[in-house]
Amino acid sequence: MNKNTRVIVQGITGREGSFHTQQMLKYGTKIVAGVTPGKGGTEVNGVPVYDTMKDAVKEHEADASIIFVPARYAVDAIYEAVDSGIKLIVTITEHIPVLDMARAIKYARARGSRIIGPNCPGLIVPEESLVGILPARAFKKGNVGIVSRSGTLTYEVSELLKNSGMGQSTVIGVGGDPIIGTSLLEIVRMFDQDPETDKIIVIGEIGGTMEERVAEAYKKGEIKKKVIAYIAGMTAPREKRMGHAGAVVYMGMGTFESKIKAFKEAGIPVANTPYDIPKLLLS
Amino acid sequence: MKLYEYEGKSLFRRVGIPVPNGVVTSEPIKWEGKAVVKSQLLEGARGKRGLVRVTEDVYNTILELKKMGIEKFLVEEFVPHEKEFYISVLLDRETAEPMLVLSREGGIDVEQAKDVKRMIIPLERGVRSYDIIEAEKYLGVKGLAPIIQGLYKLFVDYDAELVEINPLAYTNDGRLLALDSKVILEDNALYRHEDLLKELGRQEVRDSYVELEGDIGIIGNGAGLTMATMDLVKLNGGNPADFLDVGGGASRDHVRESVLKVGRNPRVKKIVVNIYGGITRCDEVALGIVDALKEIKKPIFVRLLGTNEELGKKILRENGVNVYDDVLKMIGDAVRS
Repeated sequence: MNKNTRVIVQGITGREGSFHTQQMLKYGTKIVAGVTPGKGGTEVNGVPVYDTMKDAVKEHEADASIIFVPARYAVDAIYEAVDSGIKLIVTITEHIPVLDMARAIKYARARGSRIIGPNCPGLIVPEESLVGILPARAFKKGNVGIVSRSGTLTYEVSELLKNSGMGQSTVIGVGGDPIIGTSLLEIVRMFDQDPETDKIIVIGEIGGTMEERVAEAYKKGEIKKKVIAYIAGMTAPREKRMGHAGAVVYMGMGTFESKIKAFKEAGIPVANTPYDIPKLLLS
Repeated sequence: MKLYEYEGKSLFRRVGIPVPNGVVTSEPIKWEGKAVVKSQLLEGARGKRGLVRVTEDVYNTILELKKMGIEKFLVEEFVPHEKEFYISVLLDRETAEPMLVLSREGGIDVEQAKDVKRMIIPLERGVRSYDIIEAEKYLGVKGLAPIIQGLYKLFVDYDAELVEINPLAYTNDGRLLALDSKVILEDNALYRHEDLLKELGRQEVRDSYVELEGDIGIIGNGAGLTMATMDLVKLNGGNPADFLDVGGGASRDHVRESVLKVGRNPRVKKIVVNIYGGITRCDEVALGIVDALKEIKKPIFVRLLGTNEELGKKILRENGVNVYDDVLKMIGDAVRS
């Protein structure tokens, strides 16, 4: 993703969709069109609106879409984006039923489309392009790649880096749901290949085993760049959902302890608190 | 949404999973012979707390339990059995497919079980004959087909997160029976099951509040930041009393309600609030906090950053609330105070 990425906003006329379209345009993102069924022919912040993705891509070339469609209709929006040939689909919407998402992700993969999210803040290349809801103030161009399961914690860490004189190459929130389109490891691998990125921060949380997969790959030497990790949820009880749909431990899988252990065994430094991250990066 | 045991068992019957004969009651009833009286609560560890009793005197057992404040009971026939197993279906996050979990050790905390078998059963194909054979071989019993098919059907058709039988009894006369049920439905999909909710008399509730054991109330915005705040309190020697994420774009009223909810917990001695305002406006947060403090008098430590930060801080300072820039200092002060 860069300043030339052309983006369609699905659900552009809604409260969130229109507000964040304005924010993204302000940041310099190339938004070429919007889609809301029944609102075709109108405009939002000067962006033309279409009834369907098919209509939108007929008139505008697009590389990515961002979805603000309400949960009940969001899965349809994903299928529609895939069928229109969109290769990067950023799904901001939360509360999409998990089995619907599991099927949609498989459908997208089979057709060569990548989904980021759902229930994610999107991604930003500081000072170039923003496809998401991340607050611009936290980011500054630099060489640290950040990938995270949590929105606010990402903003917090980015701002800490900025205040310590560091910046970010790309920041991606992969989403807080149990099933997501792109895993932490997939993003870490991309950062490892990305010439703009020198160091990588992984912000994880309890539940699932995505963090352990990063640790394994690092241990095997598949990732060369310096990685720093932080895991939220040390004090979270088992079988209780901590805000995120995916932040829950069932049957002892994906505990705080198992994640910390995996990182430490792989030789990845783990920050005790988000506020220790800048120090660890510089050491 | 977690279902009561009797609700789970009514779903079991619907999909053909055998359960013991029983009745649900809120009053003492007469019962012939030996029975199990099971208090219907949503919390776990009922057995350990003496809330599940095997008795010949159902009437008086219910009377006793009612004195402890229990309102609903499931009374079931006592089923003599020689073996107990564990069986469940949940989502495997790595493959994004349903997973069947089996153990020869039933009635245990499955996290501690050494002997566990996991089988991925993809959505595209569903349960097949060879899955049943594999599971039966592992447990060393016959007749698992209706149980596995039933659990899988519940998982898919009702959008469950977890359907679990623990223990599954193998009776002295060779039958398999679900002695307990644990069914957790996915909150995000409840809108598809309005008929079921109506039938059960339950309502959809969304709540991001989790109560914990400690005495320091925790409020944050965003799940990650809120969890990190809890952890920081613990690392500094304090004990979190809860997890409460006010979510994105919280209004003055919502913040007020949230502070009151945390503050009204009698265990809570002080409250820590950690906000990074993106969509959330710090002035709304500050006004909500000030409103709540008119009703509860507990020390509160606030860190505000982001949208309308200066205005928010001004409002708090004018009302005598401790407001910080530095999270670590705030938490240190809160723990030590």
